[in-house]
Amino acid sequence: MGYGSIVKVPFGPQHPALKEPENFTFEIDGDIIVNVKPRIGYNHRGIEKAMEARTYIQNIYLAERICGICSDAHTTCYCQAIEELLNVEVPSRAKYIRTVIAELERIHSHSLWVGIAAHEIGFDTLFMHLWRDRETVMDILEFVSGNRVHYAMNTIGGVRRDITDEMIPKINSGLNFLEKKIKHYINTISNEPTILKRTVNVGVLKPKDAVELCAVGPTLRASGVKNDVRKDDPYAAYDEVPFNVITNDGCDVFARIIVRCEEMLESIRIIRYALEHMPSGMTRVRVPLVVPPGESVSRVEAPRGELIHYAKSNGTSKPERYKVRSPTLANIPALCKMLMGQHVADIPIVLAGIDPCFACMDRVAIIDLKTGEKKVFNFEVFRRHIQKCYRKH
Amino acid sequence: MLSEDEILEKMKNFLGNAILEANVPRTRRIFIKIKSETLKEVVSFLSNELGVKHLSTITGLDLGEEIELIYHFAYKGSIEISLRLTIPKKAPKITSIVDLIPGATLYEREVHDLLGVIFEGHPDLSRLVLPEEWPKGLYPLRKENSVEELRKITQKSKGES
Repeated sequence: MGYGSIVKVPFGPQHPALKEPENFTFEIDGDIIVNVKPRIGYNHRGIEKAMEARTYIQNIYLAERICGICSDAHTTCYCQAIEELLNVEVPSRAKYIRTVIAELERIHSHSLWVGIAAHEIGFDTLFMHLWRDRETVMDILEFVSGNRVHYAMNTIGGVRRDITDEMIPKINSGLNFLEKKIKHYINTISNEPTILKRTVNVGVLKPKDAVELCAVGPTLRASGVKNDVRKDDPYAAYDEVPFNVITNDGCDVFARIIVRCEEMLESIRIIRYALEHMPSGMTRVRVPLVVPPGESVSRVEAPRGELIHYAKSNGTSKPERYKVRSPTLANIPALCKMLMGQHVADIPIVLAGIDPCFACMDRVAIIDLKTGEKKVFNFEVFRRHIQKCYRKH
Repeated sequence: MLSEDEILEKMKNFLGNAILEANVPRTRRIFIKIKSETLKEVVSFLSNELGVKHLSTITGLDLGEEIELIYHFAYKGSIEISLRLTIPKKAPKITSIVDLIPGATLYEREVHDLLGVIFEGHPDLSRLVLPEEWPKGLYPLRKENSVEELRKITQKSKGES
């Protein structure tokens, strides 16, 4: 601390490797972050407005494309909202299939994230291994749904494909492999000094702050708060499937890794139970195209946390208003809190800690607040600037 | 943990006149219509007396002459309490709740951006999701403009600049 002048460092929004463009303006004192200002919206596509102009059936496809990683969470949430408006009860078999797909998606999303976290701290071997093993769950998803990313399993009134008894052995053998691997990774991550040095006590979010800033999902649970929509506000078959809500009192990036890894193991148990206890019967019911006037609030525990949709119908085949709040937006205020007081070098891993964003370090502009002078640095020059700050104190 | 009906009863007892309408459409869902000027009173009651700290989001709706705001709170993560109120579209102003619920900051900014509601007392109501060059006074989620019209307006303003 005490480099003298506070400089503003804009991060993002564009980077060839960024999944979601976001921009953060950091005010840094030497190498320590003293203030963070998020500027989102670079990926704002106006989906809520677009949904008002499309039919309920067309909107399933639009909801699926809100996210490329948790596409199933969005369609589940959407279909539940519309089913409530229509007063339709989904067949139990469909509810179990929705649960299986949701948990497969959680495994794929969490393993993707742990890989990225490893990459952000320079542990690319773990990244490569994890992503290799992640292919197993992608194969299962493709085998069950026909697709790797947009599974298109959900429809209003149930699911579009069945999981037959013949498919179960293949799914189970994939799960057995994944379980063995995830246990191995938890062991590696907990004992590897290079990981511990970069993640323990980094990006701390105290439980009180996590609650006050309305954080959700693994970010909240890694701060020791036991909160999970699957348990608290059950949907699909979660009220019939026994499972534990994983929490960790670490409050740091390490805790976030462990929570997600343990959640993957829990997901495997949920899928096994659901496949074993799958009720027989129909997978969907027919629903009318016109929805009577009404409103509903639908919630789902997406891989990143609480996802909430609000639907209002007006008696036509198109919604009057549709509102979506995805978990990443809910975690941005908590993220800003985590970044305060951190070193510039820890920005990527703390950013990645809430999943899914990571910072763009390739091009930054430095503004000297005293003189108002603006310089654009590339990564190399910026690195040298930071080293100079280090040497000064 | 209180049930839906117990929450409603408690709120009616303490807040009385602030509540205009209330209903429980299904388990774990409560909709309450309140007077817009009592928002802070109701939110501090939820926060202090019921321990509701989690705001899931704020939904804004264009009702024609009025704008409706729905604050979705989660009681113990489980019961979703949706507080609704209306404000006139001609002067869409409401007090900010950021001082009571710090997690509301981005949700208020989002509604400000897309529906033009001014949250009085919010520390920073700068643009959140719309581009900087988006025409001033044009609010995409208001019903006046269709998607096609919005596209025309924004393309025209791009051409001028």
